Amino acid sequence: MTSKYYKYTLSLIPLLFLTFNLLANESETVAKTSEAGILDWAMHNIIALLVAAVIVMAIGTLFYFNNMLLQLQKIRLLQEHGIEVIEEVKLMSKEPWWKGFYKKLTNAVPIEKEEEVMTDHSYDGIRELDNVLPPWWVAMFYGCIVYAVFYFGYYHVFDYGLSSREEYEVAMKDAEVAIKAHLASQTDLVDETNVEMLADETEIAIGQSIFQTQCTPCHGQVGEGNSIGPNLTDEYWLHGGDIKDVFRTIKYGVPEKGMISWKAQLRASDMQRVASYILSLQGTNPPNAKAPQGDRWEATMQKDSSATIGMNQQ
Amino acid sequence: MSQVEQFYYDNAIVKKFAYATTLWGVVGMLVGLLAAFQLFLPEANFGIAETTFGRIRPLHTNAVIFAFVGNGIFTGVYYSLQRLLKSRMYSDFLSAFHFWGWQAIIVAAAITLPLGYTSSHEYAELEWPIDIAIALVWVVFGINMFGTILKRREQHLYVAIWFYIATWVTVTVLHLGNNLEVPVDLWKSYPVFSGVQDALVQWWYGHNAVAFFLTTPYLGLMYYFIPKAANRPVYSYRLSIIHFWALIFIYIWAGPHHLLYTSLPDWAQSLGMVFSIMLIAPSWGGMLNGLLTLRGAWDRVRTDPVLKFMVVAVTAYGMSTLEGPILSIKSVNAISHYTDWTVAHVHIGTLGWNGFLTFGMLYWLFPKMFNTKLYSTRLADAHFWIGTMGILFYAIPLYWAGWTQSLMWQEFLPEGILKYSNFLETVTQILPMYALRAVGGSIYLIGVFVMIYNLAKTVKSGQFVANEAAEAPAKTTWTSHKDTYWHRWIERRPVQLLVASLIAVLIGGLVEIFPMVLVDENVPRIESVKPYTPLELQGRDLYIREGCVGCHSQMIRPFRSETERYGEYSKSGEFIYDRPFLWGSKRTGPDLHRVGGKYPDSWHYNHMDDPTSTSPGSIMPPYPWLLTDDLDTTSTVAKINVLRKLGTPYEAGYETIANDDLQYQANQIAKRLKGDGIEQEGLERKEIIAIIAYLQRLGTDIRPKAEILK
Repeated sequence: MTSKYYKYTLSLIPLLFLTFNLLANESETVAKTSEAGILDWAMHNIIALLVAAVIVMAIGTLFYFNNMLLQLQKIRLLQEHGIEVIEEVKLMSKEPWWKGFYKKLTNAVPIEKEEEVMTDHSYDGIRELDNVLPPWWVAMFYGCIVYAVFYFGYYHVFDYGLSSREEYEVAMKDAEVAIKAHLASQTDLVDETNVEMLADETEIAIGQSIFQTQCTPCHGQVGEGNSIGPNLTDEYWLHGGDIKDVFRTIKYGVPEKGMISWKAQLRASDMQRVASYILSLQGTNPPNAKAPQGDRWEATMQKDSSATIGMNQQ
Repeated sequence: MSQVEQFYYDNAIVKKFAYATTLWGVVGMLVGLLAAFQLFLPEANFGIAETTFGRIRPLHTNAVIFAFVGNGIFTGVYYSLQRLLKSRMYSDFLSAFHFWGWQAIIVAAAITLPLGYTSSHEYAELEWPIDIAIALVWVVFGINMFGTILKRREQHLYVAIWFYIATWVTVTVLHLGNNLEVPVDLWKSYPVFSGVQDALVQWWYGHNAVAFFLTTPYLGLMYYFIPKAANRPVYSYRLSIIHFWALIFIYIWAGPHHLLYTSLPDWAQSLGMVFSIMLIAPSWGGMLNGLLTLRGAWDRVRTDPVLKFMVVAVTAYGMSTLEGPILSIKSVNAISHYTDWTVAHVHIGTLGWNGFLTFGMLYWLFPKMFNTKLYSTRLADAHFWIGTMGILFYAIPLYWAGWTQSLMWQEFLPEGILKYSNFLETVTQILPMYALRAVGGSIYLIGVFVMIYNLAKTVKSGQFVANEAAEAPAKTTWTSHKDTYWHRWIERRPVQLLVASLIAVLIGGLVEIFPMVLVDENVPRIESVKPYTPLELQGRDLYIREGCVGCHSQMIRPFRSETERYGEYSKSGEFIYDRPFLWGSKRTGPDLHRVGGKYPDSWHYNHMDDPTSTSPGSIMPPYPWLLTDDLDTTSTVAKINVLRKLGTPYEAGYETIANDDLQYQANQIAKRLKGDGIEQEGLERKEIIAIIAYLQRLGTDIRPKAEILK
C-alpha cells in the first residue's frame, strides 16, 4: 500500500525528464536553424517514439506473464502426474526485476524494521529516522552538478558555445538566406517601382479589411482622417497621391510626421491592396472629414473611377 | 534526577496571526481576482487611478506574499517554535509588537500602493519609510525568536528551526540589499544602483523572496506539521541536513535566471541557469522528506483532510521546483519569459504549496488551540476538492495562454514578416483563457470561504486555550555530548548556525553582484546615451507611479522575432541612467524600449485617454487623469540633486534651471499636439505631456539622428 503510490509517481519522472530534455533541445535547434540533428528528429517524432516505448514495454510484460503462466502450467502438469515440485516456492516468491531495481533506487529501510534506523532525537514528540539518502536522488544531484560544470565550462571557460549575441547573428543570417530563397521562388514581386493599382473588387475588399484593422486609429473609419492622421479621401496629399507614392508611404513610413513603416508588418501584396483601397476612396466625401493637408495632386484629377487612376500610371 | 519546570505556551499570539492569515488571505485573493477580471474586462479598472491594474497588481502580490503567507509563517513559527524549544516565546511584548507592527505595515502597503507610491522593484515596491518599518519589525521578530532559542529547554535545534533561522538572516540581508535607496521626499526615492546592476540586485532579491519567504519558512512548517499530523517519524535526518545546506547555499545564486537573454552579461545568466539546475535535487530533498514521512500513514491521507492538504502542498512544491529549473534553461526561457507560463508557474507554487500548506496547518491548529474537534471533516474535504479544482482551472488555461502567445510572437511568414505583427492579435487570442483563469481563482476563493465557515464553527464549539500548560526538564540538565553525528555539534549552537547560514547565503550574491558593480566592462558605455531631461524624468516617474512596468517590458531580447517586432535589441549601456530599471517581467502589452519616435505625440495622447481609440480591442485601461492633472514640478530640484549625488552627470547648478528646461520641452510637445488639432486649456502643464516626452525618448539614444528623422 505504502510504496505503491511512489512507484507509480516515480516511474513517471524519467519520462518527464526525457520529454523536457527533448523540448529544451528542440528550441535550441530552432535557434540555430541550420543544425538538424538527431534531437530534432526525435522531437518531430516524439509521439512515435513514445508509442514505440509503450509497445516495447507491453511486449516485455506479455513475455513476462507468458513465461510465468507457462511455468505455472508446467508445475500443474507435474503435480497432476505426481511428480514432486521443488521449483515451486522459488518461482512464486521471486521478485520481478523492477522491484529489485526500485529497492536499489530508494534503498529505504522497510517500515517494519524502521526502529533499526531510529535516532534518539525527539522534538515535541517528533522523532527522526536516519534512512540513507535515496540513491536515485544522489545520482540526480551529482548529474545536475556535472551538467552545470560542463555547461559553464563549455560556454564560458573554453568558449565553445555561441553567446546570446552570436546566436542572434546566426539566426538573422539563416533567416536572410531563407527569405531570399523564398522570394526568388516568387514571381511578380511588388515594390514601389512597379506597383500598380488593383481594380479587382475582392482585392480592394481585402485592402479594406486590412485598413480597418490597422489604419483606422489614425485615419478614421473611412479614411476621413482624425487628430492623428490626414484625410485620405481628398485630392490633397502630403507625400504624393500616385499609387507608387502611397505604396512607398505605407512601406517606409514618414517617421518625422508619425506615419509608421509597415514593411515589417504587411506583405508587399497586402500593402498594394491597402494602397489600392485608399485610392479607391478618392472623392467619397465622408462626414467629419479633416481639412485638406499637403498639395493638390494633379494626376488624380479624374476621380470618377479608381480603374482610371491605375490606367493613368501605365 | 531531572528538575522539571512548569510553563505555558502562548497560544494567544498564534491565534492572532492565524486570524490575520485568513483575513489577509481573503483580501489578497480578492484583489488578485479583481486583477484577473481587469485582464479581460478593462471596465473593471473603473476608470479610477487607484483601482487600475498597474497599481492593483503589486497590491495583490504584496498582499498574498507578505500579508497572507507572511502571517501564515508567523502563525506556524510562533506555534512550533515554542513547542520545539520547550519554552514560551521570549517576550510577550515583542510578540505583540511584531504582530501589530506587521499588520500596520500591511495597512500602510494597502494604502500607499494604490496611491502610486512604489519603488517599482517587484515584491519590494513599498517606499522607503515602510521599508524602514519592515526592517524594524523584522528585527523585533528576530530578537523574539532568538531570545526564545537562547532560553530554550531543548538542547538541540530541530530541522524546522534551522529553516527559521536561515529565513530570518537571509530575508534581512535581501531586504537591506535591495532597498538601498536615497529619498527624494517622503514617498519617493531612487535606488543606489541603476540599469543592469539594479536589475541584478532586484532579481537576486526577487528570486530569493520566493526562496526565503515562500519556501524555506514553509519547509520549516512542513517539518513540524507533517510529522505531527501524520504521527510518523521524519524519513531521513541526514537528508534534512544535506538538503538544508545545499538549498540555502544554491538558491541565492539562481536570481539571474529572471534575466536570461536580457542585457545582463552572458556569464551571469549562465550562473543563474546552472545553479537553478543544481537546485532541483536540494528542493526535491524537502519534498521527499515530506512525502516519505507519510510512509505508513497513507491510509489516513484518504480520510484526514489535514494530510490531504499537506500531500498536495508538498507535491505542488515538488512540481514547481522542477518546473522552475526547467524554465531556467535558456532555450525554454526563450519561450516562457514574458508570458503567462511564468504566472501559471508561480501560482502552482503559491496556491498549491503555500495555500494548501497553510490550510492544512489551520485545520490542524484550530481544534488544538480551541481544545475541540474540527466542526466538519466533510466541509474540509469539500474545501480540498474545491481548492484543487481552483488550482487546475487557474493554471491550465494560463499554461495554454502562455504557449499560444509565445508561439504567435515568434511565427514568421515565408516573406520574413511576422505573421502576427500586431501585438494585440496575440492578446485577443488568449482572452478566453484569461476569463477561465478568473473562474479558477474564484473557485479557489470559494474554497477559502468554506474553510472560514468551518473554522468559525470550530471556534464556537470550543474553548480557547490562551496559555497552554507544559512541562519540561530544566536547561541545567543538559549534558555534554559525544556526538553520534557531526552535525549535532552545530544543532546545539544557534549562533554558529546563524553565522554559518549567513556565510552560505552571502557567497552566491557576492560572486554575482560584486563583479557587476565593480568591473566596468560588464556594462559597456555608449557615448550617445545621455541622462533624461527633467520633463522625461518626471514622465518616467509617472510611468513608475502608474505601474506600466506590470504589463510592458523595456527589454528587447536578441531574437529575430523581437528585433523585427520592436527594433534593435537592448544593450546594457542604454540603461545606466535608469533608476530604477524598468525591464519588466511580463508582456501583457508590447515591449516599449524602442517606442520612442514610433508614433506621433497625438497618438499617445489619444491612446492614454482611451486605448481602444487607437488600438481597437485593447485591454489596456484608460488613463484620463493624465490628461486633466497638472504635473507636479516642485520635486524636480530634489530629484536632480539626488540623481547627481548617485552619479547621473547633471551639471552643477542645473537644478536651478531644470524646471525652465522642463517647461520649454513641454511647450514644444503641447504645440505639436495643437498642430494635430488637440485643443485643451493648459495642455502644456498636464501630466500627459511628461509621459509623452518620456515615451518618445525611449530607446532613441543609440539610434542615429538621421534614422529617427528619416
